Amino acid sequence: MGPSLDLFAAASAEGAWTVSEVTKRAKSVVEAGLPPLWVRGEITGFKAWRSGHWYFSLRDQTAQVRCVMFAKQNFRLPTPTDGMQVFVFARPSMYEEKGEFQLTVMELLSTDQGGLWKLAFEKAKAALTKDGLLDPARKRRLPQFPNRIAVVTSPDGAVLRDIQAVVARRWPVAELIVVPAQVQGAKAEASICSALNRIKRLPVDVLVVARGGGSVEDLWAFNTERVARAVAAMPMPVISAIGHETDVTLCDLVADLRAPTPSAAAEAATPDRAEVLQQCGVFGQRLSRALRIAARHVIERLDRTGDRLTRGMDQRLEKSRALLTAHSARLDALSPLRVLARGYAVARDTDGQVVKRVAQLPSGKEFRLRVTDGEVDARVQ
Amino acid sequence: MPEFSKQLERLEAIVRRLESEDLDLDEALKLFEEGVERLRAAREQLTQAELNVKKVLEIESPS
Repeated sequence: MGPSLDLFAAASAEGAWTVSEVTKRAKSVVEAGLPPLWVRGEITGFKAWRSGHWYFSLRDQTAQVRCVMFAKQNFRLPTPTDGMQVFVFARPSMYEEKGEFQLTVMELLSTDQGGLWKLAFEKAKAALTKDGLLDPARKRRLPQFPNRIAVVTSPDGAVLRDIQAVVARRWPVAELIVVPAQVQGAKAEASICSALNRIKRLPVDVLVVARGGGSVEDLWAFNTERVARAVAAMPMPVISAIGHETDVTLCDLVADLRAPTPSAAAEAATPDRAEVLQQCGVFGQRLSRALRIAARHVIERLDRTGDRLTRGMDQRLEKSRALLTAHSARLDALSPLRVLARGYAVARDTDGQVVKRVAQLPSGKEFRLRVTDGEVDARVQ
Repeated sequence: MPEFSKQLERLEAIVRRLESEDLDLDEALKLFEEGVERLRAAREQLTQAELNVKKVLEIESPS
């Protein structure tokens, strides 16, 4: 038995809390004890104010709670109506002016429009964003001329046929490695991840993950955090084409490129061989042009060398010619003809021997006498 | 068969070298011959290739 509480003894002007104090305290207790959370329920008493703020209650069978969603949070959303089942992401708080417990709603999803899916999607997306996996800076460039292209898709069906046809037409140079996977149903998530894991170990230049259109449920595996993380962890660039153009899956978001259709994914993965052939033609032209230029350089160099050679020869020739002139002048001066011109004569016997002594000329001996302008026959007296 | 991208890279390098440098004729000719050969191989790859499709069967990996 505890002592009974004496209400009147505890009453004092100083000890009583004011309304403001108690609501303020309640607010801080609520905010500290309840972090932002997802709440589901049915909308009732919905009212949109001129300011754009929404006021409504969420209820289930046994309880209800006041909600406010401010204009800056709801401006993108279609207006909900009473009776709608929704998920809200909200911060629990106290509205002090009315002393009411209330949720400040930051996100509102209707379960009628795949809201449950969307909730899971947003959760996974938030986790991926937090880890930086949706950062545009992560996007890798696709290879220009892939040698090996891997495809993860359903093994039979139009998607694989489409991809194969495009690659065969545009870039048959590459090898197409098909890794089949279950793309829908309960096992899809594990099947896709194990296909991705296999490809991780293969020398593949680019990967296409593709699936045809389907309902939100059909595409679901590509919206799971596990598949998205597996795609993000691939060592090679990934092109994703899941569902129709209007469906954007997490797989699309983490991939290096999102293609609107499987065929478009195959096109993005490959160069057009007709264009590459043209490029080869240009290379051929550049090659022969470059060779011509290289040959011309060599010829010009030869010409320059030849010129120098000729110039050298000319100079030597000139020198020789001058020398020759000088020598011939001296030779000329020494010539016996010049001696004859001065009045000397040369006597030669009949054998042509020059007569130098008296003994060679006995009386009656015939000889020839050479003077400057000719020869005469003579005899010794 | 060398990878197509490597083939084209080498071809590009050859053309640039031929275009930019004062090579002696012998070396220029050698480069030219290699370039022509690579060009021929590349063209052949482009025109004669038939798509090779390989299916890798998924082996259930314990997860």
